Amino acid sequence: MTEDTGSFKLATSRRRLLGTAVGGAAVSALAMPHIARAAAPIRIGLLQAKEGSIALQAQYLQQGTFLALEQMGNQLLGQPAEIVWDDEPSAQGAGQNALQLIQQQQVVALLGGSLSDAALAEEAVAGQYRVPFIVNNGAAEAITGAKCNPYTFRLQPPVPVQAAAMLPYLKGIGKRWYFLSASYAFGQDIVASFKQLLASIGGTVVGDDEVPVGTSDYSAYILKIREAQPDLVIGGLTSGDLSNFFKQWTQFGMKDKIPFAEIAVGDTDLWSVGRQDVAGIYTSLWYYRDPNNSAKDKAFAAAYQAKYNRPAADKAWMGWYCARIMFEAINAAGSTKPEAIVAALQNWSEVDNGVTVHFDKWNNQLVHRFLIVGVKKDITNKWDYFDVLQSVPSNDAQAAQVFGSASDSACHMTPL
Amino acid sequence: MLDMLIMQAGNGLALGFLYVLIALGLSIIFGLLGIVNFAHGVFFALGAYFSLTMFNIMGWWGIPFAMVIVAVIGMITEIVIIRRLYDKEPLVSLIVTFSFSLLAEAVIRAIWGAQGQPFNAPDWLNGIIIAGPFIFASYRVAVMVCVAVILAAFWAFMRFTKYGRILRAGSRDPMMVQLLGINLPHVLTGTFGLGCLLAALAGLLAAPIWDVTPGMGEAAIMPAFVVITIGGLGSYAGAIVAGLAVGLVQSLTIQFMPEASTAAMYVLMAVVLLLRPRGLFGEQWERFE
Repeated sequence: MTEDTGSFKLATSRRRLLGTAVGGAAVSALAMPHIARAAAPIRIGLLQAKEGSIALQAQYLQQGTFLALEQMGNQLLGQPAEIVWDDEPSAQGAGQNALQLIQQQQVVALLGGSLSDAALAEEAVAGQYRVPFIVNNGAAEAITGAKCNPYTFRLQPPVPVQAAAMLPYLKGIGKRWYFLSASYAFGQDIVASFKQLLASIGGTVVGDDEVPVGTSDYSAYILKIREAQPDLVIGGLTSGDLSNFFKQWTQFGMKDKIPFAEIAVGDTDLWSVGRQDVAGIYTSLWYYRDPNNSAKDKAFAAAYQAKYNRPAADKAWMGWYCARIMFEAINAAGSTKPEAIVAALQNWSEVDNGVTVHFDKWNNQLVHRFLIVGVKKDITNKWDYFDVLQSVPSNDAQAAQVFGSASDSACHMTPL
Repeated sequence: MLDMLIMQAGNGLALGFLYVLIALGLSIIFGLLGIVNFAHGVFFALGAYFSLTMFNIMGWWGIPFAMVIVAVIGMITEIVIIRRLYDKEPLVSLIVTFSFSLLAEAVIRAIWGAQGQPFNAPDWLNGIIIAGPFIFASYRVAVMVCVAVILAAFWAFMRFTKYGRILRAGSRDPMMVQLLGINLPHVLTGTFGLGCLLAALAGLLAAPIWDVTPGMGEAAIMPAFVVITIGGLGSYAGAIVAGLAVGLVQSLTIQFMPEASTAAMYVLMAVVLLLRPRGLFGEQWERFE
């Protein structure tokens, strides 16, 4: 009995032991991948607006970014990698979220900057906390100009570069220009750059309205433009604001009366408007139907179409391209140390249509070709609005001329 | 310059008509239900989205169905959520409806996508109408006519129908209305649906002017609140006068100081509230004071 009891106790304690061991193993098995996932992945921070007038562009930027990591098997340096996406509710909020990504999520690099003012705030944080950062959408000159720092790189050609490339197309239209720009860094840069160009050809500013971001009604502005009768309207509006403007511009019968031009618009801004209301000349960084797209670009466009069942907008490509550059630089650096990644970014290059794509070392501005596009007279495909008029620059010598030299730059780069 | 000012004044009134329609639904819901409905912009956006969807399925005949769908969604919202807020502090209704608006916007984004939807006016409504010193976009004239008809119909409904009389009585003394044997919860559900219907109509009329995106209600809700605050909470006449005044002030500000155009309506509101804390047509309401 005693033995029985003893064997029962023994059996019970064995069962307990076994149960505990099996349970512990099961818990460990469940927990280990989690621990592995939590501790090992290399984290990249993505700052892209989730709400507001730029949210649509930001959605494409975000999709392109995630696709770039997927195409690399969600791995960097042979380790699992993941993207942590945070919002850009305002310039201040964007800066705070950049700091949170660095301090709490311990990201090794940042991507983002849907709007220039958010990008400038994030840039300051990236510089202060020494985290490599590529701005994938902001175009304000100051990003790689007066506010530059060695950790911040930028994709969009600065506003003056894009404006100068458009001048040959615009000066033939007329020399009396009206400016309608959003009241923030990007819009103000557009006005300053185009005014300088207009002065250089002896033109006249016949009107200059700075519009609050998020304006829904443009009728009063359109009446002012109609009264001023300019030869050309230079726009500095973005995303949903541009869509609102175009709808109302057509309703006032202005679409075919006064030409409209703007730099750095997104395909999605115009797709939202509808084919009958769109007109104008624009700069764009990329167009999915450009026959000169590289093999990698074409593969990206096909992958995007397959995944999202719609053509890749320019913003999707911009998100993808910046992410690809960052990921390739991290792999080339062989390390997640900021200085190693920055050095790898500065040494990164590839050739596209006769232009060596690279970051200028004095301001970390990406030198690459961009497009001047015109809206088709007769749009038959709701995803195909543009004719590619020109690709700028066409070779390295012209690239150096278009993007300028260190002496032209307001950037005074500090050492790492 | 005088010609330009007159032109801008006319344009501002046209814009004001749209604000009136957005604000009227909000005013009804506050006036009769006592709810500060921050989700009003959602029903405005749903009006645009369902109109677009039904138009693609049935053509113009689908538009009335779209309005009915939004009104029904509004009534379901009242039964499921709003009804629970009638005996709560105004702050609670504000927080709950704001939360609901965020949720609903996310649902719109999930269903229709973040991409703006092209929704254009018929070609025959593009172009301008010149009337003396005034220049109007043809579509805006059509909007003004539509809003005027809707306002007249609404006035007649409230003035001459039994249901309108019940609504007016219920807004002042709901207890007495119930003692008279009227099913007040049903009346309130219908009222909320009516407010949402007006928001949907405004969304339909605004869709060819504004970008149809999930966030389009945000652009509508703040002017609407400013309008009903200036006009006096719950006052229909106040909503009409204030809506036109806000449109007028915005247009004239754009002529002289475009960067301040958004701030102008808030300045107008501050001035009115300093002079008349209950708004232009605001009265003392026993239920709220």
